[in-house]
Amino acid sequence: MLEIRDLSYCYPDAEKPSLTGVSLNAGRGKILGLLGPNGAGKTTLISHLSGILQVQHGAILIDGSPLAVVRRKAPTRIAVAPQEYAFYPMLTVKENLECFAAAGRLGGERKRRRIVECLAFSRLERFVKIRAERLSGGLKRRLNLAIALLPEPELILLDEPTVGVDPQSRAFLLDAVKMIANSGAAVIYTSHYMDEIEAIADRVVILDDGKILRDGTLDELLRDGVAHMRLAVEGVPADEMNALLGRYGKVESVGEEWRVTLAHDRTPAELLAAVEKLGGRLKYVEFGRNNLEQLFMALTHRPLRD
Amino acid sequence: MLLALIKKEFLALIRDVHGLAALFLMPAIFIIIMSLALKDVYSPSTKALPYAVENRDSGQLADNFLAEWKKRHGSPQANSASWKDEVRDGKLSYALIIEKNFSRELAAEHPGSEKQLRLIAEPGLESSAFTANNAELIMIANELRARALLSAARMSQRLPQRSSQRSLRSGAPDESVPVSALAMIDTERLSAGSRPTAVQQNVPAWLVFGMFFVVASLANLFIQERQCGALTRLASLGVPTSVMIWSKALPYLAINGLQAALMLAVGVWLMPLLGGDALSLAGIHWGALMLVLLAVSMAAIGLALALASLVRTHAQASALGPIVNILMAAIGGVMVPKFIMPEVMQRLAEFSPMNWGLEGMLAVLLRGSDMTGVLLPAAKLMGFATIMIIIAVVFFRRRAN
Repeated sequence: MLEIRDLSYCYPDAEKPSLTGVSLNAGRGKILGLLGPNGAGKTTLISHLSGILQVQHGAILIDGSPLAVVRRKAPTRIAVAPQEYAFYPMLTVKENLECFAAAGRLGGERKRRRIVECLAFSRLERFVKIRAERLSGGLKRRLNLAIALLPEPELILLDEPTVGVDPQSRAFLLDAVKMIANSGAAVIYTSHYMDEIEAIADRVVILDDGKILRDGTLDELLRDGVAHMRLAVEGVPADEMNALLGRYGKVESVGEEWRVTLAHDRTPAELLAAVEKLGGRLKYVEFGRNNLEQLFMALTHRPLRD
Repeated sequence: MLLALIKKEFLALIRDVHGLAALFLMPAIFIIIMSLALKDVYSPSTKALPYAVENRDSGQLADNFLAEWKKRHGSPQANSASWKDEVRDGKLSYALIIEKNFSRELAAEHPGSEKQLRLIAEPGLESSAFTANNAELIMIANELRARALLSAARMSQRLPQRSSQRSLRSGAPDESVPVSALAMIDTERLSAGSRPTAVQQNVPAWLVFGMFFVVASLANLFIQERQCGALTRLASLGVPTSVMIWSKALPYLAINGLQAALMLAVGVWLMPLLGGDALSLAGIHWGALMLVLLAVSMAAIGLALALASLVRTHAQASALGPIVNILMAAIGGVMVPKFIMPEVMQRLAEFSPMNWGLEGMLAVLLRGSDMTGVLLPAAKLMGFATIMIIIAVVFFRRRAN
């Protein structure tokens, strides 16, 4: 549905581009998890899709047609639920929905039906007469989502939709996102919560410094962790452990935990046998699968970004 | 779509209590306080007022009178032939007309009933300035008449006559001889329009000022929408910039209309109840009033939109809006009447949109001007509004990108 080809963008007076050669795809009925530290280029990418930024280099295609053409003809095919509470705090829930429904060119019966459906979908029926400024964080997030869904978009971008909500609202929102995808829309979901992406994304793109570092299904990405071992051992002095593990690959010590990236010609079984031979008692050992957070941190490194 | 956005704007306005108070209460309070406070203590300098002279008398006393007047008020405008039009339009503050028998009648023991000295003021001349000129006119004429009578008395001393001898004995002219020249002097305003009271002067001034106060309200709402991402959302839904701009402009046009109605009602009905003079709308050209009000409103809304597009935060809008308003008011003759300003400031006032609005309002309410009389200030205001809206659109698009 969405195809981004070699997209690059540099803001006026910026020292370096915000996006460099970004290519990705998002399909109908699928959730694309977009990960990246602050300043990675996510907002620039979303701004392109929401029509705020024009393409400088590369192409963005919707079903093969340039995004600009699609937006001109039917801007509501693509919706954005921004990170901010992008509605009018002094208006009630219903007034906000009416305002944005009209802005999205919904009218008459369809407008009334969509407002009812979106209220039901976000479970906001009980709050229609409440001013948006008086809603809790979770309800505000739900309203933000409901507004985005009003024109029945084919592609929806959800920018950190669970920031500042309680676990119940978060679970509800994640289920809602899955339902949106199941109904046939293409969903791009950005978040800093790796467990959310792991829970709902069919495909994950890791973006940093304006470039795509990884793009694949969760299985494909986490399979990279097959060469990593984490273990804690008793009964062997640290210097001896370090020397032993060093023969099997690259070693890192974090507290009592040893992290080993195995060399190509070494196996976990050999390493564990060597530890036992040295008299070490294993407290725990993990092997075979990274989690998304480890992969993300390994790829983007630890320095603060802002 | 437009209706829904307009409805949203009204709802947002109604729920902004502080903004509404600033829009309606502030100018009403200003009108009341300033009108009452300035009712009796308005003491303007009349020295710098532009005037014309038409001297139909070739006598010495007329020359003496003019010399004295020039000493006090400076020289008259060189081009005084068309004084009537210029006085009617307010370009000249007044004209002095000395009739052909002025010198003879001023020196006569029993002058005729015809007026020999006229001061014809422009319709909008402030009451205090009008009264001060009137008093000065009488004073100078009285002095000249007293000297003339005394001189005649001295002459009669050399050629004694009964009445003159009586006068000399008593040390004063004959009691039957009127000393005052008051009966020979006539002062009037050119138009039959309203008498310029403090209310008649203040209502237009503070109404224009109040209408420009939509700047802060509109700019703050605009920034709130921009900061929360609602504007971006509207843009991503394909709402054209022109619709966004009009959805803001039209409700504030209505607000300005309500403000005008309220301020005029305060002047007409509330001020008399508080012991002040009533604002008179009798005989005014309503079409001209509507045109000026519309032009002022468009200028205020244009300025608000431009300001909102230029600033980045609420704090900037909250500070900059009132500052721009107060500066325009101070420069434009709202807070300090233009005629008592130094000449440089008077020139500067001509660059203030509030002054254009004020001139238009005064033309309608004091000079009874019709459409043609307010065309220039209205055109200036509309031109200003157009430039401001262009700036708003350009910066709005630039900010969005």
